[in-house]
Amino acid sequence: MAVAGKDLRCELRGKELLPALAQFVVLSLVIASFAFDLDSSSGPRLSPGILWLVLVFAGLLAFGRTFAAERDTGSLEAMLLTPAGPSAVFAGKALAATVLLVACEAVLLPAMAVFLASPISPAVVATVLLATVGMASLGCLFAALAAQTRARELLLPVLTLPLWIPFVVVGGRAVQVAMSGGGFGAWSPVGQPYAVLLDFDILFLVVTSLAARFVLDD
Amino acid sequence: MIVVRARGLVQRFGDRVALGPLDLELAAGERLAVLGGNGAGKTTLLRLLATVVRPAAGRLELFGLDATRQRERLRARLGYVGHQLGLYPALTAFENLEFFARLYGLGRGEARTALEVVGLSGAAGRRLEQLSRGQQQRLALARSVLHDPELLILDEPDASLDAEGRDLLATLFEGRSVVMATHDLALARELCGRALLLRSGRDAGHCGRLRPPEDRPRVPRAIGRWGPATEAEGTSPSAWPPAVRIGEARGVSPR
Repeated sequence: MAVAGKDLRCELRGKELLPALAQFVVLSLVIASFAFDLDSSSGPRLSPGILWLVLVFAGLLAFGRTFAAERDTGSLEAMLLTPAGPSAVFAGKALAATVLLVACEAVLLPAMAVFLASPISPAVVATVLLATVGMASLGCLFAALAAQTRARELLLPVLTLPLWIPFVVVGGRAVQVAMSGGGFGAWSPVGQPYAVLLDFDILFLVVTSLAARFVLDD
Repeated sequence: MIVVRARGLVQRFGDRVALGPLDLELAAGERLAVLGGNGAGKTTLLRLLATVVRPAAGRLELFGLDATRQRERLRARLGYVGHQLGLYPALTAFENLEFFARLYGLGRGEARTALEVVGLSGAAGRRLEQLSRGQQQRLALARSVLHDPELLILDEPDASLDAEGRDLLATLFEGRSVVMATHDLALARELCGRALLLRSGRDAGHCGRLRPPEDRPRVPRAIGRWGPATEAEGTSPSAWPPAVRIGEARGVSPR
């Protein structure tokens, strides 16, 4: 919690990432609305795809900075030399990154309702939040790995995007169902997307926590 | 008690051997100055001792424990300041220390005490980016002693410090084992009992014992390439401590 609190405090003071992310999200939606020539009928139909595209790239922006700045200033090294341990440091940083991405989603979802006339229901919000947890844990792990290399900006998407595909597939289907009027009880033909997303979250949280010590600590 | 015991310690970067093979022993309470030119391997040695990186070969024991396998157990007993300060520019001096205090399982009281020790109580509420480089260095030193470590490992701790700040080092070293890399021979002689001269990653023949302060001739603080800065400030090479004479013997003669 100390690490997460420190990260969020630094972000609130520096205001480096959140304003940029919010701007990125709004601009992406504006571009999408022009590029797809969206109207009130096509908007809701294309919304799930646009939502996940914007979320994925916003995530890459957010996670890219999670470890890079710490590596550059030597503060990651200083943290790892405390008895807190690499797993705790990783968990704290992943938690802070998750909160930042949720804040980004708090801009994205209302902006989608405005620009694309997307029906934002509690089921849509729940799907996005569930996917965020797993995506954040994976994104942070690869951000830690990529931060050790010179080509970190290139390496992060190459490593992360393939493993985010399950979230996009399942989350996309769930959002589609939710936007077409289905609530928490309406399941897609491929199964139960919320339960599948939850399973992914648990799986990736465990795997990334175990892998974090090897990635962070030399 | 032996605090540091290294046998055949080697570190490589790719094909290049950056350090070693090196043998080293440091007893409890001893202070070792690691001397050498740029690229001699001082920082590499310190990073190995601080358990930041693992050695490519050889054995390193700290407090009798294997520093490769048991480094998480060791870290609470070490204090380290490297080239980079490892602090957060957006946080205040106090917030920086408070954060690290929490990671060490300590409270705000310890953070406040550490600030007082390094003379930064008046700047507690100022952000790191608003502090001078010397004050930032003091804060990094405060972080390294926050948890009262038994072994301090410092890479050029005198960087950017004023005379008062350099006196602070003596205070921080009291009762601790210290390994300190520096280019300042006068400071090394002032604060450390022994010196290790590295050349191209190897012990340059001898882990020398520095003369006690009362026997030491006046040597200028600024030493360039193991020689005095100016002729007027200098002393004859024969009056220099063993570590310097070793360097001279191996072709690094004072100017």
